[in-house]
Amino acid sequence: MPLAMANTIIQVDHLCKYYQVHQKEPGLIGSLKSFVARKYSDVKAVDDVSFAIDAGEVVGFLGPNGAGKTTTLKVLSGLLYPTRGVARVLDFTPHERRAAFLRNITLVMGQKQQLNWDLPAMDTFLVNAAIYEIPDEQFKKTLAELTELLELTPLLKKQVRKLSLGERMKCELSAALLHRPQVLFLDEPTIGLDVTMQTKIRQFIADYNARYGATIILTSHYMADVTALCKRVIVIDHGKLLYDGDLHALAEKIAPHKLIRVEFSQPLNGQRLAEYGEVVKERGQRAELLIPRDQTSQVAARMLAELPIADVTIEEPPIEDVITRVFEQAARARAERGESDENDNDE
Amino acid sequence: MRYLRLLSVFYKYSLLKELEYRVNFISNIFMSVFWVGWGILGVSIFFLHRDSMGDWSFPEVLMVVGLFTLFTGVMEAFLRPNVGAVIEQIRDGTFDFVLTKPINAQFIASLRTIVFWRLADVLIGLSIIVYALGQLHAAPSIGQIAFFVVMLASGAVIVYSIWLMMVSLAFWFVKIDNIAELFYAFYEAGRYPVTIYRGAVRALLTFVVPVAFVTTFPASALLGKIDVTTTLTGFAFAIGLFIASNRFWNFALTHYASASS
Repeated sequence: MPLAMANTIIQVDHLCKYYQVHQKEPGLIGSLKSFVARKYSDVKAVDDVSFAIDAGEVVGFLGPNGAGKTTTLKVLSGLLYPTRGVARVLDFTPHERRAAFLRNITLVMGQKQQLNWDLPAMDTFLVNAAIYEIPDEQFKKTLAELTELLELTPLLKKQVRKLSLGERMKCELSAALLHRPQVLFLDEPTIGLDVTMQTKIRQFIADYNARYGATIILTSHYMADVTALCKRVIVIDHGKLLYDGDLHALAEKIAPHKLIRVEFSQPLNGQRLAEYGEVVKERGQRAELLIPRDQTSQVAARMLAELPIADVTIEEPPIEDVITRVFEQAARARAERGESDENDNDE
Repeated sequence: MRYLRLLSVFYKYSLLKELEYRVNFISNIFMSVFWVGWGILGVSIFFLHRDSMGDWSFPEVLMVVGLFTLFTGVMEAFLRPNVGAVIEQIRDGTFDFVLTKPINAQFIASLRTIVFWRLADVLIGLSIIVYALGQLHAAPSIGQIAFFVVMLASGAVIVYSIWLMMVSLAFWFVKIDNIAELFYAFYEAGRYPVTIYRGAVRALLTFVVPVAFVTTFPASALLGKIDVTTTLTGFAFAIGLFIASNRFWNFALTHYASASS
């Protein structure tokens, strides 16, 4: 690929994917009208998105439902034809679905499963081993590693339908990684799992990345997944790219405030907290305030001098709030341009 | 070679899957026998009152019934659980896993599983055919058997191709189960020789829902009612349709929208 640097694994240029959907007014009359004469409109699931990802990176895709995250992953894994623009993965054009390409990628979707419901997971593994032509030696070795990392031993011989959701997800991941793909597209891999299981899956993804230097794109609704795994995030909303870069730099860029958490040694008598900054929470002798980033130290000093303070901490606001703020800003910008929110459907 | 090895793996696990449910496996075989018996009974009752159906005698019609049973077995063992299941996979989005595998999608979609107990129908069908030949005191020549095999194989390819094209429509319209039901309804008509039907119905059963190719024509071949030209025409039709369906399938894949996760 002439455009990109040698270690660029994923290259996306002005990618667009539009869907035609028919519009229907609510109710019976609307349904009848739509049955007779359908009005179609384009939904811009992905609208002019560009980015590049290097080998070994773990990138988090963030965005609300219907933002275009899953659609982008599906284009990158060759399931969907792009409407316009270029997607290149490992020097292949994904939608051509060349065997050499498919052999080196995997797509894991938290809400869809490839394991055969009626058979033990091991049987699906063996079928996949045949499909991917994994040599026996390598299969045994990979399976041993996966078994160790994910504690699979008690699960492999049980019928998949008898496994719990978390156990099934472990097996799904294993089935998807037996061929040791270099590029992983993980769409909500921890959805519906309890916190312990989420942590385990997260740890496993980090291990896999470290061990094989695999390139990973991850979407998740759990911010903890993203903060634990991804240094870099790509934020999409309404099919458009809003931010691409370091996760923490996002906080600085988007959230112009820091959070000051104070604990008082005695109840305040009459002093008003509001004159120091925006009070987010005030309960008993504890309070949280948002202070403009550039004034943080001054304000903190003033508070220490003027208030009976027992403890004070200065923090970045929680990343969830930052992301919410990104989407609010984007929505406001759209409203100012007079665009409607017609894209608010599932991706 | 590689694909043959894959098939053996696929079918090994299909068998294992069925063996997980032993009772189901055995009761299903009883079901097959029952339905075949029912079909033969119907024909027998008809022949209690008449001497021929169209210009087909009782053993000849029996042979068509045998072929119908045989092909129902092929269809239920190979076609319905594979090509037939694609519609459902498109709807729930699990077709994603077919497309992300590094082997030909049509191959997996067409041959991924086999319902073994349905092969019982194939055996029963064959027995009926042999029995019918005995009743006719006819030993088919090598040539007739060759025509029969070519005709039957062509018929299978034709039905497969039409089914594949039908399923391909699901990439646009998603919900097309009713088309499949319609196909079945017409297929049922193939249990009798198509020559008993007239005009439009006969054309429909020959070309649109080509059951004639899997029942009447192979039976005719075995009975020496068909010549080389007809056999070769059937064969050519099968090849043409197969190529067309493959093209259409590949075109349809580009319209896959993949159900939301």
